[in-house]
Amino acid sequence: MAANEVTVSLNGVSKSFGEFTAVKKLSLSVRAGRVFGLLGPNGAGKTTTIRMIVNITAPDSGNILLFGRKFDARLQDRIGYLPEERGLYRRMRISDQLRFFAEIRNVRGKLIESKIDEWLARVKLSEWKHKRSMELSKGMQQKIQFITSVIHDPDLLILDEPFSGLDPINVELLKDIVLDLKRAGKTIIFSTHQMEIAEKICDDICLLNRSQKIFEGTLREIKSSFGRNAVAVRCEGGDGVLDDPVLVSKVVRHADEAQALLAAGADAQTLLKRLIDSGAVIGKFEMMEPSLNDIFITKVTEAA
Amino acid sequence: MRKLLAVVKREYIQRVRSKMFIVLTVLLPTAISLFGIVPALVLSIRTPPLRVAVIDQTGKMYVQLRQSLNRDSSDDAPSDNVNQLRGFSRRGLGSFVLEEVTLSNQSLEQVRANLDQRLRVRELDGYLILPPDFLSEGKAEFFNRNPGDIVSQGTMQSALNRASREQRLIEAKVDDKTRKQLFKPIELVGVRVGATGQERDSGATFALVFGIGFVMYLSILMYGQIVLGAVVEEKETRIAEILFSSIRPFTLMLGKLVGVSLVALTQLAIWGLAFSAFALYGVNLLASRGITIRVPGIPLLHYIYFGLFFLLGYFIYATAYALVGSMVTTAQEGGQLAMPIILLLVVSFYLFLPVGRSPDSPFAFWVSIIPFSAPVAMVVRIVTQTPPFWQIALSLFIGFSSVLLIMWIASRIYRVGMLMYGKRASIPEAIRWARQS
Repeated sequence: MAANEVTVSLNGVSKSFGEFTAVKKLSLSVRAGRVFGLLGPNGAGKTTTIRMIVNITAPDSGNILLFGRKFDARLQDRIGYLPEERGLYRRMRISDQLRFFAEIRNVRGKLIESKIDEWLARVKLSEWKHKRSMELSKGMQQKIQFITSVIHDPDLLILDEPFSGLDPINVELLKDIVLDLKRAGKTIIFSTHQMEIAEKICDDICLLNRSQKIFEGTLREIKSSFGRNAVAVRCEGGDGVLDDPVLVSKVVRHADEAQALLAAGADAQTLLKRLIDSGAVIGKFEMMEPSLNDIFITKVTEAA
Repeated sequence: MRKLLAVVKREYIQRVRSKMFIVLTVLLPTAISLFGIVPALVLSIRTPPLRVAVIDQTGKMYVQLRQSLNRDSSDDAPSDNVNQLRGFSRRGLGSFVLEEVTLSNQSLEQVRANLDQRLRVRELDGYLILPPDFLSEGKAEFFNRNPGDIVSQGTMQSALNRASREQRLIEAKVDDKTRKQLFKPIELVGVRVGATGQERDSGATFALVFGIGFVMYLSILMYGQIVLGAVVEEKETRIAEILFSSIRPFTLMLGKLVGVSLVALTQLAIWGLAFSAFALYGVNLLASRGITIRVPGIPLLHYIYFGLFFLLGYFIYATAYALVGSMVTTAQEGGQLAMPIILLLVVSFYLFLPVGRSPDSPFAFWVSIIPFSAPVAMVVRIVTQTPPFWQIALSLFIGFSSVLLIMWIASRIYRVGMLMYGKRASIPEAIRWARQS
């Protein structure tokens, strides 16, 4: 797959429900073989955008191209979709369930069994194969739901809040699978409001707020555009300095460390000097890129 | 096509394998036979005969009444169900021991006081006073402890009726032979005039139509709710959205309907086979005792029509349930909204009466074309006065087209409604949803 091939493109797409505008003139393009993060606070229009991509709702205006053409039923088998609202047939055995989802995506019969075993092993649920889904814990069910979206080996995988409700170990597991799929040349779109995860796996991001795009580009671009304007500080004393709004626009205190976002016009040298002057004992003072979370919050507040 | 088959397969296998299905398949016939047997058992419980004193002031009625009560109801028309029931109950519930009480110089009041006393100490269950002018006025009084015993009272009344009729005829000097002649029941044989000439028809065809209608009615009542549940299932379990990214709502709907229908047909086939085996056994048993049962002579083509109209009836109502299912979020909610469908079903079922009476009327024509009433109405017409082929074909065509149309509308409503969790669609909303997307 060529590096610049576009898998999904939206051109001036709008959608409203009655009075409420869910998505407003949104254009974006998702390049093949990359992980694309659709980020934004609740109600920003992420789910509506995704639903339009998978043709569950139709846009009011604008158009959407998948693999360079308009949506048609044959494309369905090349797309894997894990919606935010997801479930399983409660009384069905896991193996039957996965077989059903493979069958409705036209996976050939002989392949299905091996696919099921392969994926169950990968999410460490092999011994649950013959159990009914109502017997599984919520986290286990979520992993099964994930399998339903990838069992047919789709070229485009769309995940709506895939990590919500998972414990850290399973978040890690799922993250690795997503990265593996990317390495295998799949295109992945996912939405989340958990920035820490997005930061770790996204190549490209699109920030949505109040139904409008406020940023689209590579993760690198957005980070460098913000510059190194954050400082990680570990020190004893000198607390008042970090709270000075002339120097620091925002400070987040962790257990033994604080992250300070420099205010516009302030520089790190001044901050360091002020800290030393105030008599603080400095254990760590490190310039760092702003976290995606900080960028997100800044962008959203700017837009508002 | 593969997708459709996958849905059909899932619906069918999941349901047929479920415990509910197995239990219901075995239990329902058992329950029905119990409903048939238990009332008969209850009615056959013998109660002691009622002891009744009769004050016959006419002096002529006592003997007649006694005869009338003891005689079987053989002089009533055999097809009269009410009398059959009474005849049955006379053997079981309402038998009497009569005792004649004469006034012999005492006043009526004295005798009654005496009888009341006996009633109180339970030597007697009731007493009957026939006044002197009973035969002309036809009024009598039956005093008893239990006026709620309508069976005994009814038996007494009809016995008195027969007795007084007999006595009046005797007094009109009608001889025995003429009297017997007068009460001889008549036999009415329905003869059907068909294209092949005259043939005897003992109402078995009508029973057949009734049977088809009834089975259809029952299976809709049973499976309609299941179709509804199946349509709502993905909404309740939140699977719908996953499905819709890979399958068209119409395919999903169709698959569900076909899957559930195959389950219904499987169950009906099991019951049908069991019933046929049972019936065959019964017929053989009767045949060995010299009783033969004639199966009505119906052309093979008609059986094919019956099958087609049965399927039409099933599918038209099943899709109506699917439509309801597409509008609601839970099966319980759907149950309430499905009431009009049941009403429509009941009305269509009873149309067999007017249609059967005048099968070639314009009314019969129209109801046999309208999809919801066609299945019963057209079958009645086919059996009574077979309409021209084009009418049958038209009825089937319109019917099955409506099935597809309703399903299409339902799938559109479903598609939009699925995204509105936890909210039932109002009718105008449903119409709007069907239009958009």
